[in-house]
Amino acid sequence: MKVKRATIHAYWLMFIASVITVSIVTSSQLITDRIGLLLDRQASELLAADLLIESSNEFSSDYRAQAQRDGLQVSQSVSLRSAIFVDDNPSLIALKAVDANYPLRGKLETAGEMTGDRQVTTEIPARGEVWVDSKLASLVGSRLQLGEQSFAASRLITYEPDRGGAIFNLAPRVLMNHEDLASTGLVVPGSRVKYRLMFAGAAADVGRFKIWLMINIKPGEEIQDLENARPEMRRALERTRKFFALAIVLTLVIAMAAIAITARYTATQEAPKVAMLRAFGISQISLLKYYLRQLGALWVTATLVGIAIGWFTQFPLQWVLDGWFGKALPQVNSLRPYLTAALVGLLALAGFSLPYLVNVTATPPMQVLRTVVNSRSWLRGLSISASAIIAVFAVLMLLMQSSLLAVATLALVLACALILPLLLGWMVRALLVSSQRRFWLRQYLLSRLRATSRGAIYVMSGFSLVLIAILLIAVVKDELIGEWQTQLPEGIPNYFLINIRSEDVGGIEAFLRQRGIEASTPYALVRARMTQINAVDVDKIDFRDPRAAHSVTHTFNVTHAEELPDQNQIVAGEWLSDNDDLAQVSVEQGLAERLELEVGDRLTMAVGSQPLEARVSSIRSVLWENFKPNFYLIANAELIESFPQTWLLSALIADSDKADLKQLLQRYPSVTLLDISELMARVRAIVDRASVALQFFFLFALASAVIVLLAAIQTGRHEREVESSLLRALSASSGQLYRVHILEYTLMGALIGFFSAAFATVAGWALSEYFFDIEFQLSARVWIYSLVSATLVFSLAGTLVSRRVYNVSPMKVLRS
Amino acid sequence: MAENNLCIALNQVAKTVDTPEGKLDILDNISLQVEYQEAVVIKGASGSGKTTLLGLMAGLDQASSGDILLLGHNLMQKNEEQRAAIRSGQVGFVFQSFHLVQGASAVQNVMLPLELSGIGDAQARALASLQQVGLESRRDTLVEHLSGGEQQRVAIARAYATRPRILFADEPTGNLDATTGRQIADLMFALRDQSGTTLVLVTHETELLERGDRQILIESGRLVSDG
Repeated sequence: MKVKRATIHAYWLMFIASVITVSIVTSSQLITDRIGLLLDRQASELLAADLLIESSNEFSSDYRAQAQRDGLQVSQSVSLRSAIFVDDNPSLIALKAVDANYPLRGKLETAGEMTGDRQVTTEIPARGEVWVDSKLASLVGSRLQLGEQSFAASRLITYEPDRGGAIFNLAPRVLMNHEDLASTGLVVPGSRVKYRLMFAGAAADVGRFKIWLMINIKPGEEIQDLENARPEMRRALERTRKFFALAIVLTLVIAMAAIAITARYTATQEAPKVAMLRAFGISQISLLKYYLRQLGALWVTATLVGIAIGWFTQFPLQWVLDGWFGKALPQVNSLRPYLTAALVGLLALAGFSLPYLVNVTATPPMQVLRTVVNSRSWLRGLSISASAIIAVFAVLMLLMQSSLLAVATLALVLACALILPLLLGWMVRALLVSSQRRFWLRQYLLSRLRATSRGAIYVMSGFSLVLIAILLIAVVKDELIGEWQTQLPEGIPNYFLINIRSEDVGGIEAFLRQRGIEASTPYALVRARMTQINAVDVDKIDFRDPRAAHSVTHTFNVTHAEELPDQNQIVAGEWLSDNDDLAQVSVEQGLAERLELEVGDRLTMAVGSQPLEARVSSIRSVLWENFKPNFYLIANAELIESFPQTWLLSALIADSDKADLKQLLQRYPSVTLLDISELMARVRAIVDRASVALQFFFLFALASAVIVLLAAIQTGRHEREVESSLLRALSASSGQLYRVHILEYTLMGALIGFFSAAFATVAGWALSEYFFDIEFQLSARVWIYSLVSATLVFSLAGTLVSRRVYNVSPMKVLRS
Repeated sequence: MAENNLCIALNQVAKTVDTPEGKLDILDNISLQVEYQEAVVIKGASGSGKTTLLGLMAGLDQASSGDILLLGHNLMQKNEEQRAAIRSGQVGFVFQSFHLVQGASAVQNVMLPLELSGIGDAQARALASLQQVGLESRRDTLVEHLSGGEQQRVAIARAYATRPRILFADEPTGNLDATTGRQIADLMFALRDQSGTTLVLVTHETELLERGDRQILIESGRLVSDG
């Protein structure tokens, strides 16, 4: 009767653990799919479409026809470089002609003048008009000659969703109506023109069309992705996705730890029953079939309940996010989240419980007569570990689709899972050896922890794993996002002042200083184009990366800096020095990768018609999202000084000071102002969104941790009751009983807290260093939270358990 | 029988428990007396109530009615905490399933009741007790690594370490083979002879039954014979 009751209890815990796993997967899949859609839309805004193709030739009408058959909206644009005259000086511009559907994703924002109010618009310039960006702000209200046609510059573009590249590295934008393009006569055979076809529609339709496109695309035509979007936005979106991936993996680890602990407990409870059945001649195969049926029934029920719970739990997050962003999360109409959850439940249940149950079916029938002390064989341990690893790996691959982050997280988790029992066992043994003279109370406590029959070391390891996962989510949530936010604090420069003439630098600095406006160090800029790498013409080099072709036609702003700029890091080579016969240049890491540049390579560039030669002295990582002046190329001062330069600086200009900007522009007419506050606000919104969603996963993780705790308490309950009963029979007082239980749990909590903090610190460092490019700072909070929460939770649990255990009659020891 | 020589006295003791089917009488109207240094053996069929009787005599459980005197204390007026204090240092136990603390060594197991009772020099006394049962060479071995017979020896050493006035044993040879069982029985009675401890044991084993000074037969919760 007792066995039956215990078995039902054991299955019940395993059932709850499975329900939690399935509901976590359902909920996280639904939520991440929905947040993913939101992020995709944000990403689409960066392309102004869901998908686009680009070519230097006009596209066949087949593309448009097929896209329309697939139910997609289509828009086209033509971009080209041209020149306009500003105050009789020729100025290079980036002209873009768009049709009425532009942009398919995101919205244009315009203003009447530089300091005027911004308006979101769904319009494009009317025929005969153009819109210009802030670099040409002075032209608003005047007329502009483009080729053979004159246009009225009617508005200022303050936000263009698909404007790629680094902020101040771009030629001024002139946006016109596509229907006016032919009249300018600018597009003639041989012109360097970029044609774009943009598509948008339902995800499934876009997916179908993309497959068609990949089959039918012609040479010279290219499908564009986020790589060409603004680096600040792209990095923010990519990092957010990584945060989510990590949070899901860690939450799942917790849920699976719960299944593992409860499966072990179930197996222990089943052993006497199996011994009895085997003594009666029931074969191992029959027993295995019996348990498979039990597991199957448990999985089906847990899946149904888990999916229902998961479905409901997506709503609290939706309410929170809706409230925060004023936008509803997009709906997901797919069975995939539910099927994934069911499959993960099956994998976790089978991976963690089958080896234990197979083991249980091998319980020797002799156990029915007496306890057979059977130390765990290597083979048995190996089969359990291998099965668990395969299950975790399969789940991660299913959910993360071979993401490197998921694999790395798995490696970390496995390392923890393998090392923790060894470390905890070693620690307990070390403490045991330190004193032999007295047994009660410390040695008694440690003996209890060491006794394999109670599985305390495994429970502690399981709970440590859970706590490590929770701490890592907390680290990601607080430390990493916090660090990210500090990289993007309030009050950083929101304007770039570019095209400053050398003779105006001092005057502009003084102008800003007089008005209390904070400004950065001015940077000298020389515009240069890459011509040769190691004396080979760039157009003759066959680059592996297709993006290289764009980079070699790009005009770069080469600057000089005495010291490595803030939040730049040398990843190879040495910072600039004057000790070389050739000038030196430091290259941004991404550009170096695209152009396959290495330290020591010789670059030849053209500044107008003059050559500029330099040797690559270092390769640098750049934190693009910090909105500071960031550069692809930084060279020696002498090199820059030998060419005509303009200057750049960034400044924090409050709304109240914006009136002074007009004065500045009047006094220094060559200066162009770039307002980046809108872009900064968008990146900040992504960070905030990530933070709120992670909070939700944190709550889920805590809920699973409670189940692990219950399982942990349940696991040793029977043994604890018998031990209490024995201590009672040996005349222990209730005070002694209380003390032993509370201290045992406190000791467990302290050990768990200590090791969890240590592992979480190492794992947090590894993740921030290798996956998030965020500087890791040792957090005292992680140690405090870990030690205090584990000790407190376990001693409270111990107190609650002791209430029951200390009331156990000493007669139990006679009856057991 | 002199009143002051009584180690245990039961007067019209009954034990009733609640079951889903209603009240169930486990023991009914039991009266018996055990003198100091006596060796009393309780026998009976399975389910007859002999383990319950042992538990009541040792103060491990509370009777439903009647009076129980243990070492001069009326257990019916004591709660579990007070009964534990009476047992402390004066009562020893040997169980069928040994009930040793897993993860602890032989000597640590023997030290446990000594330290719980606040008896000084626990280690030296535990070692002496282990020597008496012939296990001094296994003092630091974890109990789960000992054989069944050795484990029961540790349990006996633990029971005698506090030099109790009474030793209660519940089927002490029940989990052992015949030869080991005989050795354990020899050991228990040898130690009892040395120490003069009162012995109350429940058993089916003929060997043990014959060694007792008295045999008490319990059938269906009633005392059938005593002598």
